[in-house]
Amino acid sequence: MTQESSWRYTTLGLLLSAMALFIVVQMVRIQLSPQAEVFRDQGNAYSGGWQTIVPARGEIFDRWGHLLAGNTTVYEVGVELSEVQNPSTIALALNAIVGADHDEVYAAASQEPSSTAVYRVLADFVTEDQKTRLEQLAGEMDVAYQDSKDQKRPSLAGLRFVPHLQRSYPEKELASNVLGFVNRQGRGFFGVEEKFNDLLAGTPQTVWIPADPNRVEEIPDIPPGASLTLTIDRAVQSEMEAILDQALATSGAENGTILVMDPRTGEILAMATTPRLDLNEYWRYAEVFVNPTPFNRAVSKAFEPGSVFKVLTMSTALDTGTVKPNTPFLDTGVFEIGGAIIHNWDGGAWGPQDMLGCMQHSLNVCLAWVASQVGADQFYAHMQKFGIGHLTGVDLAGEVPGRLKIPGDNDWYEADLGTNAFGQGVSVTPVQLVTAVSALANDGKMVTPRVVKSVLDKGRVYNTSPQVVGMPITAETAHKITKMLATSLEVESSVALVDGYQVAGKTGTAEIPTPLGYTSSATNASFIGWGPVDDPRFLVYIWLEKPTTSPWGSVVAAPVFHDAVERLVVLMNLPPDNVRKRLINGQ
Amino acid sequence: MDSVQRFTQAYSQAPWRKQVQLIGLFLLGLILVALVAGVYLNVTARAATIGRSIQGMRNTIENLERRNADLESQLAGLTSNGEMQARATELGFHPIDSEEQVFYIVVPGYVERQAAPMDASPAPALPRVKTLSPDYTQSLFDWLRERVFEPAAPLSEVKP
Repeated sequence: MTQESSWRYTTLGLLLSAMALFIVVQMVRIQLSPQAEVFRDQGNAYSGGWQTIVPARGEIFDRWGHLLAGNTTVYEVGVELSEVQNPSTIALALNAIVGADHDEVYAAASQEPSSTAVYRVLADFVTEDQKTRLEQLAGEMDVAYQDSKDQKRPSLAGLRFVPHLQRSYPEKELASNVLGFVNRQGRGFFGVEEKFNDLLAGTPQTVWIPADPNRVEEIPDIPPGASLTLTIDRAVQSEMEAILDQALATSGAENGTILVMDPRTGEILAMATTPRLDLNEYWRYAEVFVNPTPFNRAVSKAFEPGSVFKVLTMSTALDTGTVKPNTPFLDTGVFEIGGAIIHNWDGGAWGPQDMLGCMQHSLNVCLAWVASQVGADQFYAHMQKFGIGHLTGVDLAGEVPGRLKIPGDNDWYEADLGTNAFGQGVSVTPVQLVTAVSALANDGKMVTPRVVKSVLDKGRVYNTSPQVVGMPITAETAHKITKMLATSLEVESSVALVDGYQVAGKTGTAEIPTPLGYTSSATNASFIGWGPVDDPRFLVYIWLEKPTTSPWGSVVAAPVFHDAVERLVVLMNLPPDNVRKRLINGQ
Repeated sequence: MDSVQRFTQAYSQAPWRKQVQLIGLFLLGLILVALVAGVYLNVTARAATIGRSIQGMRNTIENLERRNADLESQLAGLTSNGEMQARATELGFHPIDSEEQVFYIVVPGYVERQAAPMDASPAPALPRVKTLSPDYTQSLFDWLRERVFEPAAPLSEVKP
């Protein structure tokens, strides 16, 4: 190596070393500079992103496992701005197929792409069918204009479809008042969907999703929302809805409710009410439920029950020992209490009666007398034990407590004791009445009504169990009143009777109060009954609002009870009493 | 003095031999660096490939879950109460009109219809732990750093 070349190599080495040193110094300087954080943020911005993972909403099944509420895939339609060729075509297509606003879509799709404008959402909740049509149209355009050199040729280039889940209700209107619905923001309204919204919705989690596959991280396993199995029997529910619709048509009633409960467990087998809504079109809510119609009358509408309330009055009197089934009563057609004159439903005097006759003929005068004999303290104490005026705790949203005025309240008068005895001046909900009467059909034990049978949450099943909320009357009293009511139906040859099955029950006809008093001729016609009386398996309540063909519960509601029970025993596999007893005795 | 010179001359290496040694050492270093770079590239490429596969599988799982939900809803729609009633009517069936049409017989061993049991998937018995091995997430430098800062851990130790 010559001196000259050695000098050159030394110079080159020094130069390269200086450059390397410069780079190292710069690296250290930048790392320690205040701008380092900005660079780090820029790097992080491209390295991935935080994403909120919303778990699939839990499903809802009927008691036999039929899906009542599930999920289905819908799409968010967006546009990749850098790929858009013709915003006008996109706007026209989305307007025609999805129904999106043309001008809004055109404005969004026409945006110039930039670092802040990369992707724009054009429409959401687009169905699979609509998505397929858009894709077909895009394909057809590509083929038709593939040779065109025109920069503005029709094209749907840039469209993106992002799938996500949306609530779906395969049974449409069936049990809609029990289920409630979920809006597009994922919030449950009414019924089970609202009551169990937090459980059904699950817990969304926000996780970091790295874009760099080298930094792939495990996404936590986010469990779906809890699933519910209801006590509702789809077949029974469907039959009750059909029977109710038929009853409304024949009676001319404005609205109605049929409630079917197992009095031993409190399980509600069917809760049919009107109006109903196809839950897949929940946005028609305001159109169907004209203000102030409650979503579910069975839990949200309190009304004066009328004579069906007499079963509670008579149970109280029997339980307190005030009367016996054969206690005599002379009905003069008039009874005065607290300054109010009580008359019978027909204004007549029914002469010598016993308690059975009082119930059979539904005598207001007799029951007002019975309540007066029981005394206000005992009467209202029992009514409170029956849960009147209190929430039942049914697992549905929107329950109201009704109203029971009691001594001591500013608006309670002694006359109320007389009118309350036959269901006037007191308001209850259907579910409240059914809960109270469950004590009569269940050996004196009153059970909490429920629609949720079990919950599947994070791989574990939680079964709900029957809850006895009280024993307002003794088992002996329950048997006595059941026998009285069964006998009264039989003696009366009521149209509520069902061949082969002994049932107990009571009709109800309640005038509907107006702000001026009982001035309207409109009534609430009802019937409550249970059976078979020796081993009650069903408790059925019928309520028809403002029937026009006849105001009487015995005329319009009792036949509905008959129809309902006739179908119910078949669907519940309940043999006639004689067959059942023969089978039990092994003959 | 001469003897010292002779001794030095005898054991000193020829200049060309020194050059060869230097070049050899340089090449050895180069090969080592290339080896490390090759191993690093290989590991990184594999990790990236597997990472992409995982990302792809995640998408597949999400799609399958949505597809399952769709199929379940479709099936529920096809077997809904209204649909089944319509099909039954088409086939000539009709609801039982009266009790006379029902016959009850004793079937030995008959078990009453039971309410649908919820399909509970086995719940994890232990608190959830990460199942993705660090082999898929750790770079060579991460691995080296871990080893350097955890000198007590023998290289052969198998971590759970």
